[in-house]
Amino acid sequence: MSHSHAHANTYLPKLAKIVHIKEEIGGERAIKTYRLEFENGDGFDHEVGQCAMLSIFGRGESMISIASSPLTKEYKQFSIMRVGRVTKAFHELQVGDVVGIRGPYGNQFPLSAWKGKNLVVIGGGVGLAPVWPIVTTAVAKRADYKDITVFYGARSSKDIMYREDLERIRGQATVHLSVDRAEEGWKEFVGFVPANVLAKKPDPKNTVAIVCGPPIMIKFVIQNLQQLGFTDEQIYTTIENKMKCGVGKCGRCNVGKDYVCVNGPVYSWAQLKDLPQEY
Amino acid sequence: MINVQDIRDTARDLLAKGEVRAVIGWRAGSRGMAAEPCVVTKPEEADSLVWDPTCYHNLALQLVNDRKDLVHSKKTATAPIGIVAKGCDARAIVVLLQEHYFKREDVYIIGVSCENSGVLDERKVKAQVGGFAPSAAAFDGDNFSVKTAKGDKKLAGREVMADRCLECRTPFPKENNTAFGDDKTGREFDAQFAALARFEANDEAARWEFWQRQFDRCIRCFACRSVCPMCFCDECVVDSIEMKIAPETTAEEKANRIRWIERSAVRSENATYHMTRALHLAGRCVDCGECERVCPVNIPLRLLNTKMEREAREAFGFDPGASIGGPSLVASFRDDDPGEFIR
Amino acid sequence: MSMEKTLDKALLSDWIAAVTSGGWQVHGPALEDGIWTFKPVAASVDLDYPNVKQAPKDFAFPQREIFFAFEHIKGEAPRLKEVKPEAPQCAVFGVRPCDGRGAVRMDKVFSDNVNDPYYQERRKNTAYVGLACNAPPSPTCFCKSVGGSPVSSEGMDILLTDLGEIYIAQAATKTGEALMAAADKLFGKMGAADKKQLDKVHADAVAAPQRAVKDAKGAPAALKAGFDSAVWEEMAKPCIGCGICTFLCPTCHCFDINDEMTGMSPLKGQRVRTWDNCQFPDFTMHTSGHNPRETLGTRLRQRVSHKFRYFHENFGMLQCTGCGRCVSECPVGIDIVAVVNKVAEHVA
Repeated sequence: MSHSHAHANTYLPKLAKIVHIKEEIGGERAIKTYRLEFENGDGFDHEVGQCAMLSIFGRGESMISIASSPLTKEYKQFSIMRVGRVTKAFHELQVGDVVGIRGPYGNQFPLSAWKGKNLVVIGGGVGLAPVWPIVTTAVAKRADYKDITVFYGARSSKDIMYREDLERIRGQATVHLSVDRAEEGWKEFVGFVPANVLAKKPDPKNTVAIVCGPPIMIKFVIQNLQQLGFTDEQIYTTIENKMKCGVGKCGRCNVGKDYVCVNGPVYSWAQLKDLPQEY
Repeated sequence: MINVQDIRDTARDLLAKGEVRAVIGWRAGSRGMAAEPCVVTKPEEADSLVWDPTCYHNLALQLVNDRKDLVHSKKTATAPIGIVAKGCDARAIVVLLQEHYFKREDVYIIGVSCENSGVLDERKVKAQVGGFAPSAAAFDGDNFSVKTAKGDKKLAGREVMADRCLECRTPFPKENNTAFGDDKTGREFDAQFAALARFEANDEAARWEFWQRQFDRCIRCFACRSVCPMCFCDECVVDSIEMKIAPETTAEEKANRIRWIERSAVRSENATYHMTRALHLAGRCVDCGECERVCPVNIPLRLLNTKMEREAREAFGFDPGASIGGPSLVASFRDDDPGEFIR
Repeated sequence: MSMEKTLDKALLSDWIAAVTSGGWQVHGPALEDGIWTFKPVAASVDLDYPNVKQAPKDFAFPQREIFFAFEHIKGEAPRLKEVKPEAPQCAVFGVRPCDGRGAVRMDKVFSDNVNDPYYQERRKNTAYVGLACNAPPSPTCFCKSVGGSPVSSEGMDILLTDLGEIYIAQAATKTGEALMAAADKLFGKMGAADKKQLDKVHADAVAAPQRAVKDAKGAPAALKAGFDSAVWEEMAKPCIGCGICTFLCPTCHCFDINDEMTGMSPLKGQRVRTWDNCQFPDFTMHTSGHNPRETLGTRLRQRVSHKFRYFHENFGMLQCTGCGRCVSECPVGIDIVAVVNKVAEHVA
């Protein structure tokens, strides 16, 4: 991990202004996407897969995946589902409001090691956000990678996040969308993400598959990838746990010898099999 | 004197006949002189049960935990659960029954009378030997012989008996399916509420100074609450460590949960925690003294709880844990209750 | 050790006075409200004591630490004011070897990956004047079986050994040497007879029998092999889920971070770190309600595995120092020594 200020107080957030809010999905578990610009000339660089601790002062902090590419320097993007105390408060904010941000935290997807390979990125629900910078970074450096395939599934067409972005990358990447149940006018796959993966049969040869979504989806996607011939070393996913400090000290996200906030969230399935299932 | 073999035989018999699915009792501890709670499920394990003055624990707590396990695992009990119970344990069971936490037929109470004894207060022992922990203690019915790093010592039983036992009037578990030992109900080693009376002899300023010092010391390990059979709430009003969240719990419900006290172990928060807890125990606390025993920083919590107990007794003639049939303190009303404002 | 001297017991208070006038706040064991605690020392101190109830980890890692204050006036950007720890120089007299070794382990945690500025600031201003345990061990001591010793100077700046009329003071760090040098005249030369007596006292202390984790070296592997063992739930059965074991522990470091409000209009408050505990039910609970360690057994396994396996995998040493507090203070007798031994037996 790189730290620009070796002696900086890691617990002190920098301030960032919300410059853009997009409502992705409505409902009880609504998802909004925020773009944050650092205030006061502050900032930090991040790598694909890393997270940041976002603050609403008086409410607390939440660890959220950075959903923008490291190549995007002017802002950082976060897609936040409304599930708890802090995320609910986020959903009440407006453009122009200022929040706290500290990071970056965690390891990264080994994107440079994947150069020359096919990438299969599989997301479900809000789980598209943590893997989205893989897609945008690889598309931006298109020549570095072979085929880029994105699977994404949601309950219905109304629940598809990053819809416009997904449409925009078609041509540079193959995009396979799915919805859980049939609906009028839907021309793509109907069914769950694991079934879509099995139907489209991505070739494991010289390929890595990255999956993120609800735990049950991850479980079946991995089973199906294995059925297609993917080895444990070719499959990557992310895990999450309750986090407080972000720097491997508070113990909340501790699983086995790992602190997910430092040693995770990115794991190959081969690595994950060695970790106690406490996430 | 109770012959411990009688307790073991009863437990073995009940388990062998399938009349109970387990027996909650005490066994010898691995760490030194004190016994520890255990759950015996096989007849052949019954011989591990012990009965001596280090059986401090109020085992009614284990009944509560058993109930929670059943609910959590969505299992139905195949048979009642057996429990070895002292007088105070049985009084706690009575309060739980009164509050319909479980049914009388769910529990098989093997009563054990403390007779003319009680449990040892390890602090009193340590105070006699410069704060050093005793490594072993033997009780001959009247005296304890303890071994410590500072030498061996013989201590009179009454001198190192817990205050709660000295003040106890009901060493015999009246509510039982079977009971061992003599019924010494009404025995008087010390005046009831003696510790409280000694404390209340101080003036208000001294009392407040005292409590500030106690609350400053609290580390909020919540052992007092965790060990209390009456603190069975799934979600505790005063802190965030017992929060029940289901998949359908909304963001609003989580966000709107009031934090009555902050997590910081500072005087104001600690005092609020302890006073709230004491109020929630009014008319329910049976003075088993477990909260005071387990407190790692020696906060004399009985002073708070027996204060409430005495109020309940003096103002409403209420005796927690005395009988299952009667209403609970806060659920009962009499025309002659004091306090005009409530009528 | 570079500096080894004798100190007449009657001169201990003079030394403390010299250390105090050197700008140090001296702390020593005091029996207050029935418990041994480190308290500021005014004149002299009685070092004939078992051990403090709570490990002295709070000198560097207090139960409550304020990170910063915030104020948010509506329509403006929030204002943050960093709070730096007020960390006076503290010299703690009478630290037991298990707790000195505890400090070494805490140092690892709070300097690994990212330095914790609060811990570091307090730690660098804390000196430990250790006290060898040459009285018979407490019934719950087990330092020897986890790689420690009743006369270990690990983590200490100075180790004192009680030889009856005198102490032998052995400096283990530059800070320790400076603390002794501050009152050089009070100390005497350690002669051959003193040295002989010291060696004997140390050897006797090390020879005193203690309870033991049977195979501490094998514990990490045994706990790994026994991860799915049914004994965890069985042993955790009486656990009441309180925080005693971890709050008193010299090496437990888990914490929570919360915003505490001090005013609503304008919104004002502080972000505060407080100790937390892996035995509390909500410790690992996700916002969704999903809890990776939902049962008492999984939480006991976490505490024991962290001490005897995970920490070892990360730092090459057991985290447990054998002070025995979690054993002696557990309300229901859960005994980490018995737990490790039992899991090892089950996988053998």
